[in-house]
Amino acid sequence: MTDATAGAPAGKGSLLEEDKRTKRRNAAEARFKAYGLGAIGIAVTALLLLLGSILLNGLSSFQQAFITIEIPLPADALDQDGDGALDRVTTFTVKPILEQALIARVDELNIRPVDMSDSDIGGIISGEAPATFLDFVRNNEDLIGENAEFNILANGRIDGFLKGRVSMESAARDSNVTQDQLILTNQLIENDVIEQRFNWDFITNPDASENRPEAAGLGVAILGSLYMMIVVLVLALPVGVAASIYLEEFAPKNRFTDIIEVNIANLAAVPSIVYGILGLAIFINFAGLPQSSPLVGGLVLTLMTLPTIIIATRAALKSVPPSIRDAALGVGASKMQTVFHHVLPLAAPGILTGTIIGLAQALGETAPLLLIGMVAFVRDYPELGLEGFTDPATALPVQVYNFTQRADPAFVERASGAIITLLVFLVFMNAVAIFLRRRFERRW
Amino acid sequence: MEDMHVMTSAMSTQNDTKISARNVQVYYADNHAIKDVDVDIQDKTVTAFIGPSGCGKSTFLRCINRMNDTIDVARVEGDILLDGEDIYDRKVDPVQLRAKVGMVFQKPNPFPKSIYDNVAYGPKIHGLAKNKADLDDIVEKALRRGAIWDEVKDRLDAPGTGLSGGQQQRLCIARAIATEPEVLLMDEPCSALDPIATAQVEELIDELRRNYSVVIVTHSMQQAARVSQKTAFFHLGYLVEYDDTDTIFNRPQDNRTESYISGKIG
Ligand SMILES: Nc1ncnc2c1ncn2[C@@H]1O[C@H](COP(=O)(O)OP(=O)(O)OP(=O)(O)O)[C@@H](O)[C@H]1O
Ligand SMILES: [Mg+2]
Repeated sequence: MTDATAGAPAGKGSLLEEDKRTKRRNAAEARFKAYGLGAIGIAVTALLLLLGSILLNGLSSFQQAFITIEIPLPADALDQDGDGALDRVTTFTVKPILEQALIARVDELNIRPVDMSDSDIGGIISGEAPATFLDFVRNNEDLIGENAEFNILANGRIDGFLKGRVSMESAARDSNVTQDQLILTNQLIENDVIEQRFNWDFITNPDASENRPEAAGLGVAILGSLYMMIVVLVLALPVGVAASIYLEEFAPKNRFTDIIEVNIANLAAVPSIVYGILGLAIFINFAGLPQSSPLVGGLVLTLMTLPTIIIATRAALKSVPPSIRDAALGVGASKMQTVFHHVLPLAAPGILTGTIIGLAQALGETAPLLLIGMVAFVRDYPELGLEGFTDPATALPVQVYNFTQRADPAFVERASGAIITLLVFLVFMNAVAIFLRRRFERRW
Repeated sequence: MEDMHVMTSAMSTQNDTKISARNVQVYYADNHAIKDVDVDIQDKTVTAFIGPSGCGKSTFLRCINRMNDTIDVARVEGDILLDGEDIYDRKVDPVQLRAKVGMVFQKPNPFPKSIYDNVAYGPKIHGLAKNKADLDDIVEKALRRGAIWDEVKDRLDAPGTGLSGGQQQRLCIARAIATEPEVLLMDEPCSALDPIATAQVEELIDELRRNYSVVIVTHSMQQAARVSQKTAFFHLGYLVEYDDTDTIFNRPQDNRTESYISGKIG
C-alpha cells in the first residue's frame, strides 16, 4: 500500500492540476475509505440479521395463550375430610375441576365440534395448569365454595396454533393435537375465552419438562446467573484490582514478575472449557463443593474473568500519566497515598469498564458450566440468601443450550426468548459501563 | 519552624551548609549520568544549576529528594547530607524527606482536582492544618506567594488542569510551598512561562530565599544571574565549576564554563 517507490518526483507544475503522484495517493485514499465502508456495512448487516432473526423467533415467547373461565371451587372436592384444611388435595384432585369447567363453558357456548370427546376438550389445557391452579387455590382458601376467575395455561400446541406454528395440516400428522381441538380453539378465540397475554411466567418460572414447553421459564437460570455474577464480582474485582495495583505500582521489575505477567496474558487466552475441567477437578472433586451450584460456577467464572480484569486494570493504571505520580510523591505523599488518592481515581473508569466487560463475558459463558453440572434439569429455585449459592441452579446461556436440545419446536421460540433476555442483561451491563465511564471520566 | 527565624543578613555568602554531596555517582542502568559530584548547597541561598542539555542537572536535582528512587534503573552512590544527616541512610523514609525537600517539575503537573485541592493536598496529608479555616489560610497564603491568587481567587473550585500552562506552573509552585519545605527544588520552573509570569516567579524565588534553600535548574543565563547567589555548571555528568554566581559569570576558572556562558558549547 505504500507509494514511496512511485515514479517521478513531483514537478513544479500548476497547483490547479493534480499531478500523477497526488492522483495516485488520492485514489489509494478513496479505495481505503471504500474498504472501510464495506467492512462496516458487512458488520452492520450481520448484526441486523442476527438481531432480526432472534427477535422474530423469540419475541413471541413473551406472549402465551391462556384460557380464561370461571371455575367453581367446590368445597366437597377440595376439602374431602371436611376439616377446613386443604391437606389431601393434589393436582389429580384439581385437574378434573379445570377440565369440567372448560367443558361446561364449551357446552354453554354450544361450540363443541361434532363427536369431540370430553377428554379431547380437556387436552387443550396444559399439563402444567393443575399445579399452578393448586397453588392458586392454596393461596385463596377464602374463595372455596365460590367461583374464581382463573387464567388456565393452554397446551403448547394450542399456543403454537395462535402463533402460527401449528396448522390444520400439521395437526393431522401430530399425535399431540387433534384437528377438533384446533377448530374448538378457533371458536374459543372468537368467544374471547382463549387469548394471548403477556407471559411473566416465562421470566419467573423454572424450566419445565420436555413435553410442556408452554410452562418452561427462565427463573432458575436468571437466579443462577445472578448468583454467579455476585460471586464473580465479589471475588474477581478486589482480587484483580489488588493484583494489578501490586504488579503495576509496587512490584519490582525482575524476571519473576515478568514470568507472572506473561502467564496472566496467556491465561486470558486459555479456552474457557479448560477452566471448567479445572473447576471440576479442584472445586468439586477435591474441595467437595456441591455440583451444579452457582458457587462453583461463580468460582470457575472468577478464574476465567480474573485475567481480563487484571489486564484491563493494568492498562488503566498505565494510562495514568507518570507526572501525576511525580506530583504526588513530590509533595511527600507515600506510594500508597499516591496510588489511592491520585492514580486509582483516574484509572477508575477503565477499571470499571474492564470489570463489566469481564462480567459480561462471564455471563455469556456456557462451556465451563456444562462441565461442572450446571446443565442439569433444575426445577427448584435456589434459596434466596446465602444458602442459595450452594443449591443447584442453571445459567442463562446453559438454558439456551438446553432448550435447543429439545425436540418440541416450541422450544426454538423459548431458546430465542432466553437469548433476548440474555442480551437485555448484556445491554444493561454495557449501559452501566458507559454510564460509569462518563460519570467518572476526568481530564488531565 | 523556619519562619520563626529572624533574617539577619541579606546577601551573606557565608550561610550554613544545608545540603552537602560527596562523591555522588548516578547510573541509569549502564549510563553513568552523574560522575564524582561534590557540592555544598547553602541555606537561605538560591543555587542555580546550569549546563547543556543532557548533562545531568535534573538527575542530580532528583537525587536531593530521592525522586530517582521511582526510576527502576536508576542507582545512586555516594553521600548526600541534609543538615548533616545522610538522606540515603537505610533508616530514612523518602516520604518524610520529600516533605522537607519540595519539588517543582519542568512540566506543570497539577492534579486533576480543584485548584483548592491541589494546594490543600500536601498540608492535609502532613497534618499541617488543625481545621478548615486553618487550611483555607494555608491555601490562600501559598497561592498568594505563588503569585497566582488574584487570578484564581474566584474559582478555587475549578479544575487545576483548566488553567493556562503558566498558571498551572505557578499553581504547582504554590502547591510545593504549601507544605512549608526547607529546601525547594525547581527544575526549569519558568520554561512554560511568559516574561511577566517569569518575573513574578523570580520575585517569588527571591522572597523564598529568606526562609528556604532554593535550587533552580535553568537554561537561561540571565535568569541564573538574576536570581541566584551560587551557580553550579554541569557538563557531561561532571560538576565542572561551583562558585558565587558573580564569579562564574565574570571570572570563570574553567574554560569549559567560559565557552558555555559565552555560547560556544551547549
Ligand atoms: N529516566 C531515565 N532513564 C534513563 N536515562 C535517563 C533518564 N533520565 C535521564 N537519563 C539520562 O541521564 C542523562 C542526564 O539527563 P538529565 O535529564 O539529568 O539531563 P538535563 O541536564 O536535565 O537535561 P535538560 O536540560 O535537557 O533537561 C541523559 O543522558 C539522559 O539520557
Ligand atoms: Mg532536565
